[in-house]
Amino acid sequence: MATTATDLEVFAAAPSPPAPRPRVLLVGTALAAGSVAMVVLALIALYARLRADVIAAGEIWLPEESNVQLTPGSMGMVTLLLSLVTAAWAVQALRDDDRGHALMAFGVTLVLGAAYINGAAYGWQQFGLGVTSSTQALLIYTITGLHVAMAAVGMLYMLVMGFRAVGGQLTGRAAEGATAAVLYWFVTVGVYAVVWYTITVVK
Amino acid sequence: MTVTEAPRATAEAAAAPSPSAPPTGLAAVVGSGDPRTIGKLFVGTSLLFLIAAAVAGALVGIEQYDVAGSAIFAADTAVRVFTLHTTAALFLGALPLLVGLAAAIVPLQVGARTVAFPRATAAAYWVWLVAGGLVLASYAIDGGPFGSDPDAVALYVAGLVTVLVALAVATVSVVTTVLTLRAPGMTLRRTPLFSWSMLLAGTVWLLTLPVLAAVLLIAYLDLRYGQQFLGGSSGIYDRMAWVFWQPTLYVFAVPALGIVADVVPVFAQRRHKRHGAAIGLLGLAAALGFGAWAQLGATADGSGAPAPWLFEGPWIAVGFIAIVPVLGLLGLWTATLGAGKVKLGTPLVLAQLAGLLILLGVAAGGATVIEDLDLAATTWMTAQTTLMLTGTVLAALGGVAFWAPKLYGKLLPDAVTRLGGTIVFLGALAAGVPQALAGALDQSQLVGAGSETVSAGDLDTVEMLNLVSGIGLAAVAAGLLVVGLALLARRSGDGPGDDPWAGHTLEWATSSPPPAGNFASLPEITSEAPVYDARHAAAVDETEASA
Repeated sequence: MATTATDLEVFAAAPSPPAPRPRVLLVGTALAAGSVAMVVLALIALYARLRADVIAAGEIWLPEESNVQLTPGSMGMVTLLLSLVTAAWAVQALRDDDRGHALMAFGVTLVLGAAYINGAAYGWQQFGLGVTSSTQALLIYTITGLHVAMAAVGMLYMLVMGFRAVGGQLTGRAAEGATAAVLYWFVTVGVYAVVWYTITVVK
Repeated sequence: MTVTEAPRATAEAAAAPSPSAPPTGLAAVVGSGDPRTIGKLFVGTSLLFLIAAAVAGALVGIEQYDVAGSAIFAADTAVRVFTLHTTAALFLGALPLLVGLAAAIVPLQVGARTVAFPRATAAAYWVWLVAGGLVLASYAIDGGPFGSDPDAVALYVAGLVTVLVALAVATVSVVTTVLTLRAPGMTLRRTPLFSWSMLLAGTVWLLTLPVLAAVLLIAYLDLRYGQQFLGGSSGIYDRMAWVFWQPTLYVFAVPALGIVADVVPVFAQRRHKRHGAAIGLLGLAAALGFGAWAQLGATADGSGAPAPWLFEGPWIAVGFIAIVPVLGLLGLWTATLGAGKVKLGTPLVLAQLAGLLILLGVAAGGATVIEDLDLAATTWMTAQTTLMLTGTVLAALGGVAFWAPKLYGKLLPDAVTRLGGTIVFLGALAAGVPQALAGALDQSQLVGAGSETVSAGDLDTVEMLNLVSGIGLAAVAAGLLVVGLALLARRSGDGPGDDPWAGHTLEWATSSPPPAGNFASLPEITSEAPVYDARHAAAVDETEASA
């Protein structure tokens, strides 16, 4: 269909597009994610301190009946590392105005997040200690539980931004919300790397 | 294709429902996302909590008049009242006072229409208010640190964690405002010093308060479900005491220094001397205030452990270096005042008194790190907390007096505000100096610890010092009450005008009180004192025209 002069006049008379919105959500998310990360990292520091004291006293840190398996924890790490790729893919697809791929990438990221939570729940099942059984168990359940909560918030955040992308609100250069959600997810994965190394690898 | 639809604006106007009347009364307050309204709520409520905190402190001082026995309370109650005093002073008083002032003033200073997250800021206030009420209620039912009812102790911890979350949310909003919503041309270098100090301090708070929240969270779980390896009810305060000590204590005073830095040049009627240096010194003060590393120890068997950082290099270094930014800023302010034509307004008086208290507090911290003086764990450290927090509050009250036209559309009554501020200052001195002297005579910081640490010959002196300290805190409460009355008795009649002080920064370029959206339009910002520059350019133009 040919463009007419009337079309051009209408567009010329339209108000100019608003100035690019400052990255309010992105910066706010970065600050909030940093704060949430500090909660988990502070507990990791407490865990490391207590562990060092116990070992320095010549005792064993984790009770013998406990079972912190390396494989599920490492699978969780690999799963979350994969999710970094899909999350970055989602943002890039939105920047390219490729909503189909963006939604697919968000979906895969959410599935990987769910797989991580499933793995964490399996780890708790296999752990062999009740939450009230020892200081070590209380710390491990608290740290891993907090991180699962952090991941769940990240998934919810991405879900909301995914819906907004479906509605056409997050496309092209205005994909700040999705970028913010993915930034939070990156921080979540980074914090898990510390949790995984401290609790699963070093024990 | 021919466009046949009506223009978008017309279509939207036709589809929009007819506007309903704006809410009034309580609905307007409860449902408000206006940062100025939220800021005023924070200021008013935190003032009430501060009065309660000061009264609690006064009662503890009077109780300590009989160190070995008990004057008012049983020993276990006295220590709980002391923790109420410190908790309320910091988390329900000083911090929310600063956050509220920042929520209202920072958007104006940086040329923003509102804060970055207005609804989150409003939610933060209401959550803080309810959680603060729970913290106080826990004390009433035998909770709080050293409480004997486990449920009430858990209520205290849960309430305090919620308070921290609420304050963190409001802080995120303020810091994001400074980072993202500055007017065109306003680089960070040109950001007004209060906003700059909130950016720095807020960032460190966001890295520090979560650490406290984490410690409290594990303490809560340990108390409710665990082995009580953190010491149970009596161990909770040990886990959080680092927040009331240096170096963490310093970061709460950084916005106070920022307020003074904004007030001084206005009343000196000249630019701030070496604005760049002030920016750097505030940055140094904030960096030194990151103190989450300086926590008391914990052991898995609950036996406790000495603080591993006490009298180690970093603690000693921070204790001494922290004096540098405060002294540097005081020097810059003295130079600014010396080079200008000083108007001795109430905000300047309060700001100067606050600066003195903060200097005394930092100097007290410097003495604490000298191992030979043996002042750690004595009331010398309590004195430092008293001086720093009261100085911070006094600076914030100076800020409220300074920005009252923007907050309330009215000036505060000069004489009453100045009287209240002076009473707070004298009360803080009367409370802090005796606490320090009693600490020098080896009185333990732990309230209710008895008289073992004090030599028999010094006992009468220490008890008298404690009484004076209690009277000083009562005076602080009275001074805060007077300032509260000044807030209620704002000058009636016509407004103060848009710029009653001849201000320097952007908040003085809009009306008092500011309209919705704060500014109709803003020019490109080219300096750290745009209103000062504009006023002087206009004066030069007038002179040239008359010539």
